Amino acid sequence: MSLLDIKNLTLEIDLASGWVKALDKINLVINEGQIHALVGESGSGKSIIVKAIVGALPDRWRVTADRMTWRGQDLLTMSASERRKVIRNDISVIFQNPKNSLDPLLTLGEQIKELVPTYRLESFWFWQRAAEREKIAIELIHKVGIKDHKLCMQSYPHQIANDVCQKFMIAMALVSEPKLIIADDPTRGMEVTAKSQILKLLSRVNQVRKLSVLFVSHDLLAISSMAHYMTVLYCGQTVESGKMLQLRKRALHPYTQALLDSAPSFRKELPPKSPLSSLDGTIPTLQHLPIGCRLGPRCPRARKECVVVPAVRRVHEHYYSCHYPLHWDKK
Amino acid sequence: MLKVILRFANLVVLTLLVLSFFSFLLAYMFPGEPLANLTGVVRGNEQQLEALGQLYHLDNNFLVQYWYYLAELFDGNWGLSFSSGLPLASEIARTLPASIELSTYALILSMFIGLPLGFIAGLRHRKTTDYALLSLSVLGYSIPVFWLAMLMILGFCLQLGWFPLSGRLSLLYEVPRISGFILLDIMWSDLENKSAILIDALRHLILPTLSIAAFTTTIILRITRRSVIETMNSDYILAALARGLTPWQILFRHGIKNALMPILPLIALQFTTLLTNAMIVEVIFSWPGIGNWLIQAIYQRDYPAIRVGMLAVSTLVVLFTMSIDLLIRLVDPKKSKVERVAI
Repeated sequence: MSLLDIKNLTLEIDLASGWVKALDKINLVINEGQIHALVGESGSGKSIIVKAIVGALPDRWRVTADRMTWRGQDLLTMSASERRKVIRNDISVIFQNPKNSLDPLLTLGEQIKELVPTYRLESFWFWQRAAEREKIAIELIHKVGIKDHKLCMQSYPHQIANDVCQKFMIAMALVSEPKLIIADDPTRGMEVTAKSQILKLLSRVNQVRKLSVLFVSHDLLAISSMAHYMTVLYCGQTVESGKMLQLRKRALHPYTQALLDSAPSFRKELPPKSPLSSLDGTIPTLQHLPIGCRLGPRCPRARKECVVVPAVRRVHEHYYSCHYPLHWDKK
Repeated sequence: MLKVILRFANLVVLTLLVLSFFSFLLAYMFPGEPLANLTGVVRGNEQQLEALGQLYHLDNNFLVQYWYYLAELFDGNWGLSFSSGLPLASEIARTLPASIELSTYALILSMFIGLPLGFIAGLRHRKTTDYALLSLSVLGYSIPVFWLAMLMILGFCLQLGWFPLSGRLSLLYEVPRISGFILLDIMWSDLENKSAILIDALRHLILPTLSIAAFTTTIILRITRRSVIETMNSDYILAALARGLTPWQILFRHGIKNALMPILPLIALQFTTLLTNAMIVEVIFSWPGIGNWLIQAIYQRDYPAIRVGMLAVSTLVVLFTMSIDLLIRLVDPKKSKVERVAI
């Protein structure tokens, strides 16, 4: 059974020039126990999807979807407090910038203890409950690989290093024993050892606790080793999604291919001194979105038909939306 | 912590020294002879002038004079007023508490009104409530204080007759002076009709307090609103929302503290404006405070009084702002420990 099922999620933002679709018909399905990677350039709307899922968007933005369900419950029609309950119990988010997403005036200990849900506490009196909260917090802090729990709980967010902070955020995400962890670019700006520690931690959490992880990143290298399933995003449109292995072996969309080519470690026979490949141009701003397929102006295979938004097509478990996919050449 | 306190104390001492030096210089900067400015004796005979000059060490070096001036200040010997002939120290001890009392009540009142309203406006950002409060604050912000005070007198004293026109207490009552703060004095006194006196004092207080507080309230409202909007849009509040905390939990556990932290020093700074406004309002309501007294002194060219009065008021302001700053510095964890923890 799928945990999160999103179909045609559209988000419109009111700019001076009128309503702009920041997300255009996004499809995303996350199954139980799966690591799902959401990949795209910066500015492609990855973080906005995360915020739309947890409902942390400003009120003046318009969100519509054909379907947005959490284990069969419709997230869009439920009341704010019901939705909050779902999120509180089942979904946890790890944010890009761990330091900014912690309250600067409270110690880390206070902040993690605040999140311990009441149903995990057995005792009745508040002092016993406080001790229990403390115990749960310490346990989790140890689990994410922070040894000195005392120092960690006593310090303020600005006093500890970024990667420790991110580990702590993972501990905070695990407090409510969620079904799904959404990791929004958790390794941004970290050096390699810290990065691999965080990634290992996430995949271990996935294996040991049967947690699903939605891993949002632009770092293909990091994702490819751990993710089972991948969705590629370009400029607020889902470009292609499918099993990680399949996508790596045979990408159907020119954008996915370009993304894979841009990471040198994926190319097997890369001769020395050959130029690194990348798509020309940059991702368009929200004010100047092209019509039809948004990759159009940058796409090496674009033709006349590309001014119409391509429909989603499917080859087995592999979805793509392109008028001229790569595998047609080979026919 | 001790280091911080020491640093602040150092700063306070230096600032006060500079202030006292300015007040010392004033005797030379007023028009006329320094000796005449200090003593008020314009046409004395030779001997008298010489004796007075020796008293003020006028034939000595400039710095030596300043040194003697400081010594006199610390002795509590602040000179005599030209107009009343009374020692200035006792005059200031009589008038300053009245001003402090008025300003304190006005500050407390404006915080009690301004902070909650600012929070409401900030939380209802871009909604009708926000716009209504904002336009109200623009109104309060742009009304001149003296004009508002006059309007209040016109409306509530002369037309409606609800409140007394001037002074601190009706002439019928006589309260023994202990602290100089009228409400405290009434509480401490053992007069028979205590509650009647208290009500009378409060009725005298209402109009001046309101007319001073109006301006400060609007400023506090605007500062608070700005800060609340910024705080509620910050990443950690959104993150707390995404963690599934209720809006009330977020506001009370994370919002209020973080929104208040940056604005407390700004509010403390408002005390200066408040005191200035209080001085003007004191004149209008004949409040026996330092502002009224200083302005009388200026009218009467009472140079020693101007000199010492200015020093007293500025010392008060400096001490108040510095102590609030120190308090915030000690409370704020973002500033308290700079060293990083290695885990």
